[in-house]
Amino acid sequence: MTRKIRVVHYLNQFFGQIGGEDKAGMQPMDKAGHVGPGMAFAAALKDQAEIVGTVICGDTYFGENMETATKEVLDLIAKYEPDLVIAGPAFNAGRYGTACGAVCSAVADKLQIPVVTGMYPENPGVDMFRKRIHIVETSDSAAGMRQAVPKMAKLALKLANGEPTDSAVDGYLTRGIRKNYFAKERGSARAVEMLVRKLGGEEFVTEYPMPQFDRVDPNPAIRDMAKARIALVTSGGIVPKGNPDHIESSSASKYGKYDIEGIDVLTAASHETAHGGYDPVYANGNPNRVLPVDVMRDLEREGAIGELHRYYYATVGNGTSVANAKKYAAAIAKELVEAEVQGVILTST
Amino acid sequence: MDLENQARVKELAEKYGAENVVVVIGGAEAEASGLTAETVTAGDPTYAGPLAGVQLGLSVWHIVEDEIKAEIDPAVYEDQVSMMEMVLDVDAIKEEVSTIREQYSKY
Repeated sequence: MTRKIRVVHYLNQFFGQIGGEDKAGMQPMDKAGHVGPGMAFAAALKDQAEIVGTVICGDTYFGENMETATKEVLDLIAKYEPDLVIAGPAFNAGRYGTACGAVCSAVADKLQIPVVTGMYPENPGVDMFRKRIHIVETSDSAAGMRQAVPKMAKLALKLANGEPTDSAVDGYLTRGIRKNYFAKERGSARAVEMLVRKLGGEEFVTEYPMPQFDRVDPNPAIRDMAKARIALVTSGGIVPKGNPDHIESSSASKYGKYDIEGIDVLTAASHETAHGGYDPVYANGNPNRVLPVDVMRDLEREGAIGELHRYYYATVGNGTSVANAKKYAAAIAKELVEAEVQGVILTST
Repeated sequence: MDLENQARVKELAEKYGAENVVVVIGGAEAEASGLTAETVTAGDPTYAGPLAGVQLGLSVWHIVEDEIKAEIDPAVYEDQVSMMEMVLDVDAIKEEVSTIREQYSKY
């Protein structure tokens, strides 16, 4: 008989049966064998695989100490010498989803073994980790555990056995990886056929799904621009020279708030871009190209706008997850509203 | 169903015997009531609590079901439940809870 596949399961404090929100600060710990939903996985994995250990960590602890927590969890997992790691499912729990994603991603990188987790498509963990790991689509609440477990277990076994997988068949969220294959018809013929179907109101399957973007309704127009306080916000990475907050050149983990009182024009000596996704020569040569402080000051003098807000906000849009971008936007918007800013000019790269 | 309540139900069933315990649910919504009913019969469907994998098979009902209603003094029922009865989707709740009961209750 071949050896059973060794599985380690990652859970948060709730599913790990430690407790609710009051226990969310707990540090990582491990238990031999399966815990909580691991019981359902053990049944679904049957005799092919065995959950040899479970690692449990509080959601708040993980969220607040992501780097150290990832390392601690990884060490606990590695101790069991697993062939496979399963995390969650996290359903629509944001912190739990992020933790599951981070753990799986670290395990895949460091231990080089297959990983599977499960989340609701709107879980912020999906955007952050879908490209790196297999995330099985689940319902939004734990009521979907019964449906989620068999799907995750099946995919996990496939990955552990090195079998080919397919998002449509195995129910995981697409990872944005394109595979080459030989089609019978050439692209133009397939496109025309799709178009004819579309025009005829028939069903067709696109070969290249477009990302879905939010539609944001514009705010009502500002009545009197001559009295309005206008702020500048950019995802083009313009920061004071030396990048004091160390905003990353891609996948930014933060944004910065910088004072421009008394600054009439940005110069190559005073500012630069932290952005790593475009040729920085022209932005560094004249940072106003990305953050137009110079023309805003002109407009201020001409009386076209009331005043330019004292602070500008900057982050780097390069590869930054939509979930993080939303988080920064909410925080920035809150401060702008508090500062009685009426309008914002957003500039990108 | 939260972890504390799961622990209480488990303890009561052990103390008095599963055949002597009846669970009456007051949930305001069919899906949630169904999950509660499932928890005390087939085990915690979320596998998070003490009843994970524990099939108590208890007799489980919702307060708005006719059989339970018949057991209660109409004046008291009128006073305590009738208001909620008017605003809840009673048919959906009855359907959900009775389906689970027929499937998993052992008593």
